[in-house]
Amino acid sequence: MLTLAAVLAAPLAALADAERGADVFDENCAECHSVASSLKNKKGPSLFGVAGRNAGKIDGFHYSDALLASGIVWTPDRIDAYVTQPKAVIPGGKMKFDGIADTAERKDLLDFLAEQK
Amino acid sequence: MNLPLFRSASRALRYLLAAAVSLTALQAHALPSFARQTGQDCGACHIGSFGPQLTPYGQRFKLGGYTDGDNRTLALSAMLVGQFTQTAKDQSEAPAKHFDTNDNAAIQEVSAFLGGGLTDHLGSFAQVTYSGIDRKAAWDNLDVRYARPLTFQGKDLITGLSLNNNPGVQDPFNTLPVWGFPYLGSDLAPEGAPAAPLLAGGLETQVLGANAFAFFDDRWYAELGGYRSLGHSTLDALGVPAEDIVKASGISPYLRLAYTRDVHAQSMSVGMVGMSSNLEVDDTGRTDRYRDVGVDASYQYLGTRRNIFTVNALALHESQSLSGSRAVGDAEHSNLSLNSYNLNAAYYYHQHYGVTAGYFATNGDADAGLYADSSSNRPDTRGETLQLDYTPFGSESSWMAPNVNLRLGLQFTRYDRYAGGADNYDGSGRGATDNNTLLAFVWAAL
Repeated sequence: MLTLAAVLAAPLAALADAERGADVFDENCAECHSVASSLKNKKGPSLFGVAGRNAGKIDGFHYSDALLASGIVWTPDRIDAYVTQPKAVIPGGKMKFDGIADTAERKDLLDFLAEQK
Repeated sequence: MNLPLFRSASRALRYLLAAAVSLTALQAHALPSFARQTGQDCGACHIGSFGPQLTPYGQRFKLGGYTDGDNRTLALSAMLVGQFTQTAKDQSEAPAKHFDTNDNAAIQEVSAFLGGGLTDHLGSFAQVTYSGIDRKAAWDNLDVRYARPLTFQGKDLITGLSLNNNPGVQDPFNTLPVWGFPYLGSDLAPEGAPAAPLLAGGLETQVLGANAFAFFDDRWYAELGGYRSLGHSTLDALGVPAEDIVKASGISPYLRLAYTRDVHAQSMSVGMVGMSSNLEVDDTGRTDRYRDVGVDASYQYLGTRRNIFTVNALALHESQSLSGSRAVGDAEHSNLSLNSYNLNAAYYYHQHYGVTAGYFATNGDADAGLYADSSSNRPDTRGETLQLDYTPFGSESSWMAPNVNLRLGLQFTRYDRYAGGADNYDGSGRGATDNNTLLAFVWAAL
């Protein structure tokens, strides 16, 4: 029974994380980034399907030279590092954001972004 | 402009006494041209998805010279305000030619804006307005801004210069009279406050000012500048009515300091403002001196932007040295003081549904010359304003976003005290509550 409960609880926990991640996104990211499937660019590029994407690949967005030269692939680790301290990961980048210090909030945000595809 | 009160004062004083009217009536700004340039929703820059109350992002957009954003589009916008005004009791005379003493409907104003980046570091917020009340066009708010983002000691620094025509219009916060609540008033209602400090619109569109500013570490804001009056012929060409013209002698220095913190879900600011001005007393060669000092504070809870709560507060103190007006018989005393207080709180649900409650008060020394039309010879006015509004557009997925925005509102202003009294303040039996005003408005931006 315990095993069955654990199996059932795991997706629910992930869902809860993503829901909290949606709030983190709305608080910190949504002013400048959209996750609409139409790939809408705002002040920042669309984050729909960002997980696993090569940096600088959204059509119609004017990326900084620094980001284009970074060669980053947006794996969870790289997103986490970037969201923690953007200017440390891409010096000279355009994103005017001082980062999210809270580890749990970043994890929830990553769970949310992973679902935007 | 209707001036039923204090008609005996000099032209300069009359204009100052009425400044609060024009100020509240002409505040109206939410520019789709900014949204087209930045790709942002209206709600990224504005509380409730409609101007003028700025979010921290909107404040930084303004400080950056209106230049942020990669889309170089035509920086033109338009705005229209339609309104219906009802007062508790008919006004003693019609508030403007072509209108009745009560129950008036009007297209209050139609404005055109040049709003957005002109070069990488230069941008403008320039407004021309046709008044459907006065049935005339005139220049309105102007803030042309040059800004450079720099780094100092490893921290962000924005420095720049603003050329503007109204002390406070260049301010990034939501507390000074130019940008304070109520953001829209009726030109057909009794004056909101029959006397107001000079900083509350007394020099609006009468002057040109150059203000150098610096914003350091996303926290510290400092601004220093000065204003000089424009000549009569220039103001006439710009549509400023001759009877409203006030002339400041020499330069009027202006200082603004503030500290702000933005932690994404919340933000706050505290600050002070000061200005000193010598105003000419008509053509007598004499002057009066006005020294304004104010303190302000604001708080915003933004959270997920689904439930937003804001508070703004401002207290202004004005020291008046009216030797010029006293010499010509317009004032009884040489030295007077005037204080004004504003406190308002707003709640917005899902950026579309808003309620704002505000408290306002003005009090000052008695003067039989300056306030001759008040039975107590005092300017004291106090009341509350409640506004309900609905903004159907302004979101990422809104119809025609970001090219169309609209706000529908109901605003009720109650006066506990008016021009020195609660009852019979004018000696003709009129009470403060007779001026209670219901305003219904439609406010559109393209």
